[in-house]
Amino acid sequence: MENENKNLNDLFTFAEFDEMESEHIAAPRYSYWKSVFRTFFRNKFTVAVAILLLFILCFALIQPMRSGYSPIVTPNINSPELKFLKPCKEHIFGTDHVGNEVFDAVWAGARNSIIISFVCTGINMIIGILVGAVWGFSKKMDKWMIEVYNIVANIPFLLLAMILCYVLGAGMKSLIITMTCTEWVIVAYFIRTQVMIIRDREYNMASKCLGTRTMTMITKNILPYLISVIMTYVARMIPNLISYEVFLSYMGLGLGTTNASLGQSISLYTSYMRGYPHLFWIPVGVLAIISISLYIVGQRLADAADPRTHM
Amino acid sequence: MSKGYFWKRLLRSLLSILIIMLIVFTMVYTLVPRENIFFEDSTYRKLSSKSDDKTEYVYSTWQKLGYLDYVRINDYALTLYEAASPEINEAVKPDSKESKDFVDLYTSKGYTVETYLGNGRYYAYKDVPVIKRMALWLSQLIKIDTPMSVKDPNNPDLKRGLSFGRTPSGGLALIGSGTTHKYLLYTDTNFPWIHQNIIKLNFGTSYPTYQGMEVIRVLFQSQGTEVKRPVTFETGYESESGIIFGTLTYKEKLDRMDKKKFVDNYATYETKKNQPSMIGTSFLMGIFAMVLAYGLGLPFGLLMARRKDKLADKLGMVYIIFIIAVPSLAYIYLFRYLMTSAFDLPTVFTTYGPGDIRSWILPVISLSLPSIAGLMLWTRRYVVDQMNSDYVKFAKAKGLNQGEIFRGHIFKNAIIPIAHGIPASLAGCITGAIITEAIYSVGGMGKMLPSAINQYNNVMIIALAFMFSTVSVLSVLAGDILITKVDPRISLSEKAGRS
Repeated sequence: MENENKNLNDLFTFAEFDEMESEHIAAPRYSYWKSVFRTFFRNKFTVAVAILLLFILCFALIQPMRSGYSPIVTPNINSPELKFLKPCKEHIFGTDHVGNEVFDAVWAGARNSIIISFVCTGINMIIGILVGAVWGFSKKMDKWMIEVYNIVANIPFLLLAMILCYVLGAGMKSLIITMTCTEWVIVAYFIRTQVMIIRDREYNMASKCLGTRTMTMITKNILPYLISVIMTYVARMIPNLISYEVFLSYMGLGLGTTNASLGQSISLYTSYMRGYPHLFWIPVGVLAIISISLYIVGQRLADAADPRTHM
Repeated sequence: MSKGYFWKRLLRSLLSILIIMLIVFTMVYTLVPRENIFFEDSTYRKLSSKSDDKTEYVYSTWQKLGYLDYVRINDYALTLYEAASPEINEAVKPDSKESKDFVDLYTSKGYTVETYLGNGRYYAYKDVPVIKRMALWLSQLIKIDTPMSVKDPNNPDLKRGLSFGRTPSGGLALIGSGTTHKYLLYTDTNFPWIHQNIIKLNFGTSYPTYQGMEVIRVLFQSQGTEVKRPVTFETGYESESGIIFGTLTYKEKLDRMDKKKFVDNYATYETKKNQPSMIGTSFLMGIFAMVLAYGLGLPFGLLMARRKDKLADKLGMVYIIFIIAVPSLAYIYLFRYLMTSAFDLPTVFTTYGPGDIRSWILPVISLSLPSIAGLMLWTRRYVVDQMNSDYVKFAKAKGLNQGEIFRGHIFKNAIIPIAHGIPASLAGCITGAIITEAIYSVGGMGKMLPSAINQYNNVMIIALAFMFSTVSVLSVLAGDILITKVDPRISLSEKAGRS
């Protein structure tokens, strides 16, 4: 009996009193980004769309490198038997009016369209968020920024596009400038309204009373709150810009005839709509798949970015 | 809303419009090479062999369009000597004393002096600054017709004054003499029944397309072929004509037919045509599409919100995503293809023309497709946001049923941001729909801006930019006023205590 007691006592050692340990609060570990991804991957459909999107994006980047497609290189222009072929085994998407593979044209176009829309969205969002956050915060600035908005947003877009196309020459550069030089103000206006809605909430007033600097308030208190709204906006903007590109190409203001783009293909093949409808519908279909999957992934990411969905 | 706020806001809006115009003027007059305006000019092409006439034509056209100030040695000599005198013939020669004076004078004024390639005579030109160009345009923008308007040296004893009378078609009229228009105010049986010709907007004359026509007439005049009817003219002369008597304006040189028809010099007129004007076509189409969009978009949005996460909501979302993700060019073609194969409807507007209702159906629905999606999306968002608010829970606790809560509480609050957009969409109707109109070949406003830019029709570009930006800036203001009327809690001015 005593032996046993002794043995038991040997198993224990006296613990030191640790002052730091008593202060420790045991709360569940929360990591924002981990929760975002957990919420995002919870939905099987979203994951499937995301994988499809990833596949398309990689394909659009890699395939044109392999094919080296350019709309001005037309080796088959003198062989009528290779023109306007319906989709078949050798020609997956068929061939067009100069005997080029539609498959190559579509993916080369998809690559340019994706690059343009991503770059423009990036530029617009960065400038728009920075300006919009400060604009929404300062009442003094608001009075004048409203007029700046009125001015910049009302310059006829088409006129601007045509003149830039004229001055800089048709191409990637002028297209990106066209799609960013007035669009940022619309983003800024949107962010401004969102910031105004939450800047006067109690937690921000408290933060202000405690002497937080304006910049800290914008970056730490307000912008994290807007992540989901901003993501929703991005999800709409990328397909919107691709549509813009189609519209501009339709008006003859796109990338010019030397570069492939989805808009270029669509507006070019519109004239063959009656006789060879596949020429028109294949680029439109590819564009629709890209836009819709981008939109769905963006929306789900926006939902996942909202901390309220994490619990 | 206070009156002070309104006026200040209106003033700032007008300032914004001026700045927009300044930017447009700068873009059009400095960034586009001025040689380009002749691309579409047939007169220029015919002149290309004879170099002096060409130089003369080029510079006088630029002067007419306001690019530069152009002075020839002949103009200078005319200020010194009488016309057709022997001194003039001597003075215009390149080696004369006057030519030297001309060169010195205009060089000191900052002009560039050059000589014609053929006869070696001098001419001088100086660019007009954009600000001055715009100021001139603004000063001529509003034209008021007074009895002193007509300045005709061949008709010195033209009576000047106003009187009341009737138009030959029977309406009451305020008749002017010495005015540009004969009938300053008149009534007839056409909408809006009372017409005025006293205050007119003057955007200038179109060039190089629609050459010689006033821009405002290009946009507002009815199109198509003349609709003739038996008419008795002032002189008693009877004929088939589409004349609109209210549009009679002063004509300096009358021909034989004019003298047969009219008793005085008012002999230029517009004719009635069988198709609405460009702006009228676009506006009519826009209005129909807007009514359709609000009529379908609002109820569908409400339905989606009430059936949130159920089948109706999901179907609605599929439609919205489709419209957002697919370019309008593609879904309008798809829609047209589906509709024309299912129903007996024309593929283009021109098959039956604007007089037939079948022509309108497809363009109007196509035009409303994106607005329906937008309205559905936002109505759903706003209603869902309202559904989670405390006052709705309270109303439910009081025992109101779902329908009462929706009608009496949620809808009233959710409609406020929707109402904000109504003036803008109404105003948007006049700008026309570029793609829809192009696909269905509708003769509306949509094509005007792109074609004006492509054909370097600067006068037209400026006029359209002015019209569109004015309408859009003012509709933002109108939208703000409308929401204060719909929701009295909203205050636009800072002083009212809300920020």
